[in-house]
Amino acid sequence: MTSTQAAPRGVDGVAPAGTSPTDAARTPSPALKALGYLGRKLGLFALTLWAAVTVNFLLPRLMPGTPADAALSKLAQNGPVSEATKAAIEAQLGVPTGNIASQYVAYLHQVVTLDFGISYTFYPQSVGELVSAALPYTLVLVGLVTVIAFVLGTLLGVLAAWKRGTWLDSVPTLVGSFLSAFPYFWTALLLLFFAGYVLRLFPTSGAYGPTATPNFSVEFLGDALYHGVLPALTILITSLGGWILGMRNTMISTLGDDYVTFAEANGLKPRTIALRYAARNAILPNLTSFGLALGGVVGGSILVEQVFGYPGIGYLLFNAVVNQDYPLMQALFLMITVSVLIANFLVDILYGVLDPRTRR
Amino acid sequence: MMQPTRSRPRSPLRSRPLARIRAALALAVAASTLAACSIQIQSAPDPSIPDDTMLVAADNGSPLFEKNFNPFMINKRVAAFYMYEPLIVLDNLNAQEHPWLATGYTQPDPSTILFDIRQGVTWSDGEDFTAEDVGFTFQLLKDNPSLDLQGIWSYIDTFETGDDTVTVHLSAPDVPAAQLIASTTLIVPEHIWADVEDPTTWRNPDPVGTGPYTLGNFAPQQYTVDKNQDYWQADTVAAEHLILPATNTQLDVATKGYDWAYSFISDVEGAWVGAGNQNTYWFPPGGTIALFPNLTKAPYNDVNVRLGLSTALDRAAVGDAAAEGYMDPAGQTNILLPNQEDVLNPDIPDSGLISQNTAKALDYFAAAGYTQQGGKLVDASGAQLSLTITTAAGYNDWLKGVQEVQKQWGAVGVDVKVESPQPAAYTLALRNGEYDFAMGATGGTGNTFRDFNNLLSSEWVKPVGEEASNNFERFSDPAVDKLLAEFKVALDPAVQADLADHLQEVVYDQIPSISLYYGGSWGLFSDAKFTGWPSADDPYASPKTYESTPLLVLTSLKKVNDD
Repeated sequence: MTSTQAAPRGVDGVAPAGTSPTDAARTPSPALKALGYLGRKLGLFALTLWAAVTVNFLLPRLMPGTPADAALSKLAQNGPVSEATKAAIEAQLGVPTGNIASQYVAYLHQVVTLDFGISYTFYPQSVGELVSAALPYTLVLVGLVTVIAFVLGTLLGVLAAWKRGTWLDSVPTLVGSFLSAFPYFWTALLLLFFAGYVLRLFPTSGAYGPTATPNFSVEFLGDALYHGVLPALTILITSLGGWILGMRNTMISTLGDDYVTFAEANGLKPRTIALRYAARNAILPNLTSFGLALGGVVGGSILVEQVFGYPGIGYLLFNAVVNQDYPLMQALFLMITVSVLIANFLVDILYGVLDPRTRR
Repeated sequence: MMQPTRSRPRSPLRSRPLARIRAALALAVAASTLAACSIQIQSAPDPSIPDDTMLVAADNGSPLFEKNFNPFMINKRVAAFYMYEPLIVLDNLNAQEHPWLATGYTQPDPSTILFDIRQGVTWSDGEDFTAEDVGFTFQLLKDNPSLDLQGIWSYIDTFETGDDTVTVHLSAPDVPAAQLIASTTLIVPEHIWADVEDPTTWRNPDPVGTGPYTLGNFAPQQYTVDKNQDYWQADTVAAEHLILPATNTQLDVATKGYDWAYSFISDVEGAWVGAGNQNTYWFPPGGTIALFPNLTKAPYNDVNVRLGLSTALDRAAVGDAAAEGYMDPAGQTNILLPNQEDVLNPDIPDSGLISQNTAKALDYFAAAGYTQQGGKLVDASGAQLSLTITTAAGYNDWLKGVQEVQKQWGAVGVDVKVESPQPAAYTLALRNGEYDFAMGATGGTGNTFRDFNNLLSSEWVKPVGEEASNNFERFSDPAVDKLLAEFKVALDPAVQADLADHLQEVVYDQIPSISLYYGGSWGLFSDAKFTGWPSADDPYASPKTYESTPLLVLTSLKKVNDD
């Protein structure tokens, strides 16, 4: 990951970023250079992907106990389990056999064909079925809220830094840092209890009404939206502060830089200075975080989904881990890793566009 | 979700007042939350649910329901138990059999069972239920061992079906096997299942059974079952519909007017009964929570050490710590009291309950070569008696109980460590015998023979490192095996009772497991719409919502507003 270690100083003294360095003569061709940059990034991406895929294979198998043990421990809480039960459960689940190498080959084949087989926990449902049922809810809920939080938080941060010392600075900063100090689940529980049970404003669990069946009718979408309010609010409340503070703090340091002073001295419009000069540079660290957050969206928000009984990926992941559901875990972890990697890759590319120095 | 990275503010002065304000605000919010804790939860039943419909917390989607009503699968919908019925219903609390799809069974000799199949029963699609269906189900489990969750084919050799009888020949004399086969095999209709291509993966989306309910509306977050109007004892079924939601949080259960739930609620008096809606509860013992000593390890293989440890315990305090005082301390007999009082050996003092007696415990320890020195219990070489208790992560009640045990054993000078790995790892450690002491549940199968056989029989014993499915402590005594072998073939109830008495003495004297307290069955009921729930005064069935005992409850309830 790249960050702005040194304050950018444009060679021409006015435009700090966005314009290519003037000494283009020494470099063969900008297009070729950009291609090389892309190639390097792609190579790195492929390597990280392979490592992630392999770790994803190994980690669940390093956990002690097998899926059958997990299923048995649940049954044993209710009373003794007969000898035949374990054999029957293993037969039902199809717990992996064969040595680790053949499992690895089978696993790589699954990764390439995106066929992760049957879930142990939700037997006989396939992993694909489960993931495709859960993914839309998480993508829409967490994804949308993350984008809203990023845009809103960054804008507020710019405003706070530009008008620092006024109420436009103190109120968002104070409220933001106060709210971001809340743990997710606590905010969730507070909202659940007060907005859900005491005031009965919003439903307390599920992604849609109890009797509804998912479809694309207006009623259903409205219903789903209504059910998403509390979980969305939870994520927004707890993540907004981070974006505000991150943006404000970097922006304040950029505002102190010489090129901004120079721009001011040149009599540029304050708005231009704020947005095109200071904010453009200051947004880089926030953009990195945004990329990571966006990649993390796919992983859902385990605690929030858990509290609100929201049928997303986070809830699924929790169940997969608790029940040692290898196929499901592998698919989910892989999905999360790959989306974080892709998000990172895209941010890296975007970085190259926003900050030409990284291309060198 | 990732938190955005934050660079340090330029001016270090800014962060200080901010932090102070933040702390003050946090305190204020914390205080208001604490105040909120005293809010009394009120139950507000959904007025759109009519009086003849029951809201049941019985089935949990994780988080959504999958439409799977294959009664032989571990991930089936719980309502499959209300649609498919066994030959007899066994109430595991009282160890009582109720004739169901069989009007009864006889055992002419210890390896033969003769079931009389009930006449006049129809499947919910109108077809007649016959002995052929029973035979078909047995054969189905034989052909598909992965569906045979209870392993009935480890007992059965052959069977034949008559007009209204099914005769089962066991592979070895085994009287108690009859109960297992009769009570755990849910009978499915041959005319539907015979055409199923692969019953091991079939999800049976349109279930046809003999039970009191048939599937109504199914949605991923909630489904309903409707009364089977042609049920063979339809006049005993009061609830016309059952609603089963996929998420049943404790707050949901307490506030949404559930009629029946199976769940442990902290402070049940305040949170459940106090919520109104004529809520009641019954928490009878459903099993014994015990510490299993590893008998392959010294010094736990010394009975005096076990007696010392057992006598050093204040079981009531352990039970209180674990189950908030709702469960009684368990006697050292491996039977459930008060429900199985008639099985109890009257010669065992105090109904088997061992009271804390430190002086006596120290005598036992002395006999094992351990003496107290400077508050520590040490052997001849001066090494302290130290042990590790293994329990499962996330089982908070067990952990609280273990911590109380740790405290009490610590008081007599034993060094106790606690390990709580993930449930799967805990199960593996228990089965492999890789522990010193492990928490676990014993008894409560509803079959006295099986309760003792699971705990004591050397047939289960496997070397350490190999998985045992019962008798995790690896108790092995030829004399006890002989008692169990006699029990297994005993047809005479008097002989069975005598053997049960002997086995209780074995558990009492040799401490194969240290009984701590009873594990509860957490029945929450509301008398608002339906009455006649099982209770301490009328303990006719277990309060649980899964397996076949709910059939007993569902056929015993009465509507409050009968119109």
